[in-house]
Parts: sequence; C-alpha cells; structure tokens
Amino acid sequence: MTAVIAAASLSKWYGNVLGLNDITLEIEDGITGLLGPNGAGKSTFMKLITGQMKPNIGTVTVRGRKVWNNPEVFQGIGFCPEQDVFYEDVTGWEFLTGLLRFYGYARTEIEDRASRALDIVDLTADKDRLIRGYSRGMRQRIKFAQAVAHDPGILILDEPLSGLDPLGKRKLIKLIKGFRDQGRTVLVSSHVLPEIEALTSRIVLIHQGKILAQGDIPYVRELIEAHPHQISVQSSDPRALAARFVGDRSIQKMTFGPDGRTLVVETHKRDEFFGRLTGVVLEAGIEVDEISSPDDNLQAVFEYLVGK
Amino acid sequence: MTAVQAVRQVFGFFGFLSRRTGKTRVFAILGLIPVVLAVVVRIVLHGRSGPMAAVFTDILMVFFLQFYIVILALFYGTSITAEEVENRTLSYLITRPIPKPAIVLGKFAAYSVLMFAMVAVSLALSYFIMNAARLSDPELYLTFLRYLGVLGLGILAYAAFFTFLGTILKRAIIVGLVFGFGWENVIQYFPGSTQRFSIVHYLKSLLPYHPTVGGGGGRGVALLLFRLEPTKPLVAVLALTVVTVALLALACWIFGMKEYLYEE
Repeated sequence: MTAVIAAASLSKWYGNVLGLNDITLEIEDGITGLLGPNGAGKSTFMKLITGQMKPNIGTVTVRGRKVWNNPEVFQGIGFCPEQDVFYEDVTGWEFLTGLLRFYGYARTEIEDRASRALDIVDLTADKDRLIRGYSRGMRQRIKFAQAVAHDPGILILDEPLSGLDPLGKRKLIKLIKGFRDQGRTVLVSSHVLPEIEALTSRIVLIHQGKILAQGDIPYVRELIEAHPHQISVQSSDPRALAARFVGDRSIQKMTFGPDGRTLVVETHKRDEFFGRLTGVVLEAGIEVDEISSPDDNLQAVFEYLVGK
Repeated sequence: MTAVQAVRQVFGFFGFLSRRTGKTRVFAILGLIPVVLAVVVRIVLHGRSGPMAAVFTDILMVFFLQFYIVILALFYGTSITAEEVENRTLSYLITRPIPKPAIVLGKFAAYSVLMFAMVAVSLALSYFIMNAARLSDPELYLTFLRYLGVLGLGILAYAAFFTFLGTILKRAIIVGLVFGFGWENVIQYFPGSTQRFSIVHYLKSLLPYHPTVGGGGGRGVALLLFRLEPTKPLVAVLALTVVTVALLALACWIFGMKEYLYEE
C-alpha cells in the first residue's frame, strides 16, 4: 500500500526543547491512532503534517507533495485542532460557510456543503446559534464539521474526543469510522488508549518526541500486560487480605499504605488478581472501601517501555 | 483558486466578522466624540460662523489625524496576525488552500474598509454639523473630500505599519503605542527634514491650507500645521503609497515564512 502521509527523519525543536526526534513514519489509508501522553509530540507531529510548522530536519509529504507553504495540498486535507477555540461571535452556519469560502466554491455549493456537514454532526437545529453559546460537545462537533465540510480525502484529528461525554464520544467515533468506510485516510491522536482502541487497531506510540512502537492493538496490549500494575485496595483489614495473597503467583510485591487501611499490590497479571480478589474478599468477609490503580494509564505504560 | 480570489474570500469573511466584534462597537462609539463636540460647538457658536468654525474644524482634524486613525490602525493593524495567534484560530486559516499572504491582504483590506467607514461617518457628521452655516458653499465639499482622502491615506499607511509590526512582534501593540503616540507626535515638531521620518508629516502636507510657519498665514491659528515644513503633495502621496505597499509586502513575506507558536 502507498503511504498517504510520509515523514522521513523528521525533527522539530522549540529553542532548546526537542519536540520531535528523528521520526520516520508512513501512514496509509484507514484509521491510524497516534497515541502518547500529554507533551509526547503528537500535536507537533500533526502541526508538521498540516503545514503549520516547518521541520528543522527531515521532510513531510502528503500524497507525495510537500506540505509547508503549499496551499494546494489542503484542498484534500481536513484538520480538526485540539484547542477549543473559535471565532466566537458567529453562528455555526456562518463559521462553516465562512471557512468554505476558502475552497473557491460557488455560493450554492458552500451552502449545500455547510448543510451536509451540520447534518452529519447533528447540529442543523442549532446552526443559527452563536458558537459562544454552544456546549462543549457541540463545539467539538462543529470543529469536526469544519474539518469534513469540504469532503477531504485525509482527515487529521487532534484529540477529537477530549472533553466529550460518553454519548458524544460514541457519536463521533461512529462518524470517524464512517469516513474510514468511505475509503479515506484518518489520523487521530489521543492520550487515552480505550479511545483509540474504539477507533482502530493500527496505532503509533509516541513518547518524548520519538516513536516508541507501532503496530496493532494486540501488540500494544501485550506491552501493557508486561507492565507491572500497582493496585491499591483500601479495606477494613489490609493485613488479613495480604495474608490471603501470600504465595499467589500473580503477585510480585505487596506493601501497606501509611494510613493502615491500604494494601498496595504490584502484579503483572491484573485480570487474574482481580478475579482472585473478589473471591478472597467474599470468603474472608473483608469490607473493601476502594480499589484503585494509580498507574493504570498510558503514562505509566510509556514510562515502563522507556525503562524508567 | 487564484491569489486574487483568495484575497477576496478572506476579505469577505473578515469583513463580516469584524462588524460583529466588541472592538468595532467601542471604536464606533469613540467616533461619536467629534460629533458630540461639533454639536456643542454649534450650539455655543449659534449665529456666528466663519473663522471660529474653521478653528474648530482644525481641532476636529487633530482628533482624527493624530488620535482616531492612529488608534484604529493600531488595534486593527496589529490584530491582523496577532489576534489569530492569541486566539489560536490561525490553524483554521493556514490549513486552507489559500496562500498565506492572501490572509494578510484580505484581512488588511477588510479592516481598512471598516476603519474608513467609521472615520467617514464620524467626519461627515461632525464636519457638516460644524460648518452647517456654509452648506451652500461648494468649497466646503471639496475640503471635506480632501480631508477624507488624507484620512484614508493615513489609515492605509498606519495600518500597513502596524500590520508589519504585528507579524514580527508578539507584543506589537506596546511598540505601536510608542510609535503612534510618541514618535509620531514628537518628531513633527522637529525642524528641517527630521519630521519626514513620520507618517503624519506627509498626511499634514496634504491638508488644504498651508499658512506660513508661526501662524501668520490665511487662517490665523493652524493647530495641525504648527511647525510643518510641508512636502509637495505629489511627493507626499508617493511617500505614503510607498510606505503602505512596502510594509504590506514585508508583512506578507514574513507571515509566509514565519512559524507562529501558540503560548501554552
């Protein structure tokens, strides 16, 4: 398959701070998830492939054409920025029709396209309200609408699901998948694995400006499984609970919290531990107040992968 | 889409947007100050006209030339690029199939038209109220058109300068204030050719009457023309045109080459 977006030895720094470090990557048709903790370099990468920044070293091309200062390339790209920013004093309709003017369409086509885009994101009823008065979910959707209104072949979405409620996320995920089904290329960034998981199985892990791994979700899941999880269990009798787990092969380490009510367990087999925990708690009649997993997040996985 | 079409589309979008902003409402209200002043003067001068009306017209022109167009150009000119960066809306513009200079030129044109409209309305109302006793005098209208032309050239030259500042500086408004209300005010009172290093010098050189230095000429008091050693009108127009075109071209070039980073 030919690469739609290609980055070769791409580096970008801000003063002395390295934003991206020697990234070589090819993105093909379908949905690709760009996954990494905050500050990993996802937005920098997206700004480079959308021509908002110029690489210090390396090249970036979209369908074989350079991006920086090449406006023609944007006829086929839709970009949804991460920031929750708009021209606030216009309505959703005015926002879309205003931006569609930049594609050289005739007035009727602008209106047709704006109507279709509003329809796609379920904002037709609110099109005449000022964006200033939109809810967070509506703002995310109008932002998505401006990215798709000109029917681009490539969609670049920077954290499109952030700040949305579960229902809003589900709707947007369905929309993005719809674009994939139409044979388009979608690049989505997120710092939340389940969000990316819901969209695609093809992901690129980025951390501290470098590509840590790329592949499908099962591969990343394997990496995560190998990462020792900390699970904190707050209960009426943490010592009795610990006694029940001594000798359990799923446990690597157990410590007690300073409050005298918390047992902190480190395990490679999270699911196995949770399976055992339910039985033990019921059997011993221990009252559990809270179970939390402080490092059950991407940041912890990334830190594990980079050997911290 | 050609570059000219792109400029036209940006002009259309920002022409529409600019009419909606609070900034425009504030500056439109500011434009009422000379109108109110003209009404007050008319009431005070009731039954009299001629020289006094001319004096107050001079005062009004000080307001327009040395305050209103400067402050308008400062806020609209610097905002052409700065507001997109500060509001982080630049991403919506530079990821469209339009050349970057078209963004600068389209916004510049949209804001210039808006500024000119505000100035023209304010000037027309205040000028004709002030000179209501001479409404049948054809010279009144010629003078008005000349004032309007001078203010129009001033808007373009100042806006081009502040647009240029906005593309190169993060806090362009502060430098702009120093230039517009410091340098431009002080240097015009310097004798000799030094005053030619200001925009206001060329604008004043285009004003209708040029009494001799020291106020000995036709009008007795000439606030605006105090210490002016005028440049020939044709040269003044040429100088203002060169300043406008050169600074706009520079602004477009810089905007095309520069990366604008949002502050975290």
